[in-house]
Amino acid sequence: MTRRLWALARKEMRQLFASPIAYVVLTVYVALTGIYFFQHLVSYNQLLFVYQSEGMTGGGFDQGTVPSQINVLNEVFVPSAEDFGLFLLVVLPLVTMRVFSEERANGTDELLLTSGLRPYEVALAKHGVTYLFVTLLLAGSAIYPAVVVLRGGLGFEHLVALYSGQLFYGCAVASLGLACSAFTSSQIVAAVLGYAIPFVLLDFAWLSNTVSEHAAAILKEAALLSHYGSFARGVIELRNVVYFAGITGLGWLASVASLELSRAR
Amino acid sequence: MTFLPAAGLVMILVGVGSYYATRSLHGLSAFSSANVVLGVALVAIGAVAQARRFRGFSGAESRRVVLRWTALLLGALALVIGVDVWASTFTARLDLTIDRMYTLSEQSVALCRELEQKGGAPVELVFFEDALLAKDVRLLVAAYADSCRAVEVRDARRREPPEAARDIYKTTATTVIACRGDVCDPVGYPSERNITNALARLTRERAIRVYFTTGHGEIDLASESDTGYSGIAALLRDQGFEPQAFVGPAAAEVPADADVVVVAAPERDLMPEELAALDRYLARGGRMLVLADAGQHSNFYSEFLPRWGFTLDDAVVLDRASSPLLRDPKPVNLLVHLFAPYNPVTRNLSQRTMVLLPRARPVDLGRKPQPDDKLDRAAFASQRAWISRDVSQALAGAETSAPDGADSHEISIVATGRYPRGGDEDTSAHEARIVVVGNRDFASNRLLDALYNRDLLLNAVRWLGNDEQHIALSDKGWTPNQDPLTLQQTVAYFYFLAFALPESLLLLGIFAWWRLRA
Amino acid sequence: MSAKIEAQRVSKRFGSVVALDELSLEIAPGEVFGIIGPNGAGKTTFLRILTGYWLASDGDVFVDGISVTRERFRVQARLGYACEQPKLYADHRVDTFLGMMGELRGLSGQTLRDATAVAVERLGLEPVLKRRIGVLSKGFRQRVALAQALLHEPALLVVDEPTVGLDPAQQIELRRILAGFRGQHTVILCTHQLHEAEMLCDRVALLDRGRLAALATADEIRAGGSLEALFLAKVGSGPGVTP
Repeated sequence: MTRRLWALARKEMRQLFASPIAYVVLTVYVALTGIYFFQHLVSYNQLLFVYQSEGMTGGGFDQGTVPSQINVLNEVFVPSAEDFGLFLLVVLPLVTMRVFSEERANGTDELLLTSGLRPYEVALAKHGVTYLFVTLLLAGSAIYPAVVVLRGGLGFEHLVALYSGQLFYGCAVASLGLACSAFTSSQIVAAVLGYAIPFVLLDFAWLSNTVSEHAAAILKEAALLSHYGSFARGVIELRNVVYFAGITGLGWLASVASLELSRAR
Repeated sequence: MTFLPAAGLVMILVGVGSYYATRSLHGLSAFSSANVVLGVALVAIGAVAQARRFRGFSGAESRRVVLRWTALLLGALALVIGVDVWASTFTARLDLTIDRMYTLSEQSVALCRELEQKGGAPVELVFFEDALLAKDVRLLVAAYADSCRAVEVRDARRREPPEAARDIYKTTATTVIACRGDVCDPVGYPSERNITNALARLTRERAIRVYFTTGHGEIDLASESDTGYSGIAALLRDQGFEPQAFVGPAAAEVPADADVVVVAAPERDLMPEELAALDRYLARGGRMLVLADAGQHSNFYSEFLPRWGFTLDDAVVLDRASSPLLRDPKPVNLLVHLFAPYNPVTRNLSQRTMVLLPRARPVDLGRKPQPDDKLDRAAFASQRAWISRDVSQALAGAETSAPDGADSHEISIVATGRYPRGGDEDTSAHEARIVVVGNRDFASNRLLDALYNRDLLLNAVRWLGNDEQHIALSDKGWTPNQDPLTLQQTVAYFYFLAFALPESLLLLGIFAWWRLRA
Repeated sequence: MSAKIEAQRVSKRFGSVVALDELSLEIAPGEVFGIIGPNGAGKTTFLRILTGYWLASDGDVFVDGISVTRERFRVQARLGYACEQPKLYADHRVDTFLGMMGELRGLSGQTLRDATAVAVERLGLEPVLKRRIGVLSKGFRQRVALAQALLHEPALLVVDEPTVGLDPAQQIELRRILAGFRGQHTVILCTHQLHEAEMLCDRVALLDRGRLAALATADEIRAGGSLEALFLAKVGSGPGVTP
């Protein structure tokens, strides 16, 4: 099985990087995250400058005149993490939309599924390569913050927490997108569903005024954003890891189900 | 999937998106609601159509496959939800923040243990999810819920908070309010320090009264300038102590309710009656904190302290090992990192928890007043320090290195004394205690929050006030390098990383794509 | 190595549309078996059920006694399938594609290299080994599809419309290749080209509207005139041949 999986994974990678979309997505994501990170860093620098100026406080900031809530966590990392999460939501469906639907549209799924391959192997390879791509995306976008963190002596561990969260979140969003792609042969439909479902799951604040408090609390627990925030603040919570792992697993299972159910038409 | 569910999802997407785009203007608009409702309807119609298709699914085997996988998916969903709920009951978390700001400090943990042992009415932290800083604070409040069995966290949206808390919230919109029964404390900015202080204030049985002598040029507790000492008063109040001024010349005796007397750097002589009153206070088991800067002259240092076993030379301690804090690398700014590990005032301070004592005066030990008395040195300058008796020259920065033949013995800056008094009852309540710190600047508004200065001060007051169980390091707040890059560096890195890197990726992509196509 | 195939009352319905209606037939090991019929007769449907890509609504197909419905992976290990209008990965090179398919079939190392070499030689793919599949002609793409189906020396080779869209020279070449399989594999050849079925097949099944309209050996076809005559007799008007 390992050899088959590896062969499938290589095929997936070849297909992924044969398409210009992968490079465009990589470039756009790294550029966007870099630009937004820069903006937050500049704003933070300007805020520090305001507090540092004599007119404001009468003293330098090393004397503790900058309020403790003005810090690189609140002013740079947390807003950046929120932006990066949104960008992932925007770019990932562009990658996941073709993964299954293109096979179905080209008929190559027939080639794979009559070659003795188990549907779960096909789904595993496709999901695995997509998660690898998510990791690549994040690695590219992490270079700038990593340089800032290392240069500024701010603590690498916090960045690890932040990017762990993005990885879990990105894999969950990608998994949902892949599941959508698995149920259709149209890349456009797959993209639309890949945007719609994660977006609806993102945050249920829009429902909070129309349902009971108990229901609102349950919906809040089910929302993606509720489980993403603590990573940005440097804390990896078990319940959040379990949540994202669950969504990722469900997405994979749904992909397998679609391959199995396609036989039963 | 047919067109209908996809269209339905698009409408839900538009409805939800338009809500977020306009929610600052009004809540869920008619446009958003209509889109959501219609979208849900289309999805439902599509699902029904799909189900009807299923009825037309040919063959028993096909139906078996569909039912099996539907059951599997639903079962997996139930399992995921169950595991998620189960995982949420665990509080396992990894705090990777620089200052471990979501892990309770020693002080908070010590307070929690004390509350658990004491028992009594439960203490609640009322948490307001709607408050502005709620997102920032949730993890911190969760840390209290996990680590402090004696503290409960109440979500104000789910359980009605006490009336006192509601009243405070109405006027301050604060994120966390600490309550014990009907008594509530507003906490202030929801940092760990403020929350723990609020809990301490709520649960302290009696406020420790700290009297400051005045009238001899001592520190000014009312001054809020950098060189003032209003910070000490605020700090003590925060911790549940009651700082009071004690006018020496006017009072014949130290007030009977004084738990601690602070003699903070008098610059003039005290009257004999005042010195005698302080003697009597100590003789009946009183507690005293002395701050003494280099270059100060008073009979308090030359007559009173030697009676109790302390020798304060008219000298200043210099040390080239001091770091360039305050942008002033003169040896007069002493960075003290050597502490007596068994002394209660300094046992939780170490090489990693330094204190800054600029213009420090050596505090040495002399003859014990009585054989059973215990005198100890508590904090020391480094091995490279020396004493200069030309105080004015040294303070002016003229002396930058140790003169030849300078004595390199161990120089202490902080010392403590314990004096069993009070007749046959030799309990700690009748034990006089003195802490002498050869510096006052470390407690000024400018420096109180530097390094671990406040901890040294609080440790001393707590030990003197029989509040030793609370001697613990308080949280340090957010102390990373707050200026990671200068603006110029930020821009330079931006061009290199945020432009050049994506450009490289794009070029690499074009090359790889061309190679694959070739 | 060759396989025996037995279809027992295989039916396939898509809602109210009956694609296959209780189709039963047996194919002997080593036989080259043709399936012909008009568009929508159920030829490709049958092949997709046989290869495990689709589930039969009723009935079952057995390959060497193994049920496709219940043990499709074991069946798929025994067969190679070159489907209609070859479904290949256009971005792959021929050698990379064959290597990948071999690995998916469980081949590796020297075994894989040998199998690939044999398939390449059999299908005459040496000139295009390093070229991208997307730029190949239809004929070569068809050969690549056949090559991947043969890598693991399957007992059963299923070929669906192999010569459709090819020019005459390519058709002749491909038929020559297919003829070379006789005796080595059981071959099921699905085709619209009646003379092709006549030339290559030991027996031919004629499907019409999901049913087996006729089943004739090559001799019986020749005795009756031609396959075309049989086709017309069973599907359209014209002199018939008793099956």
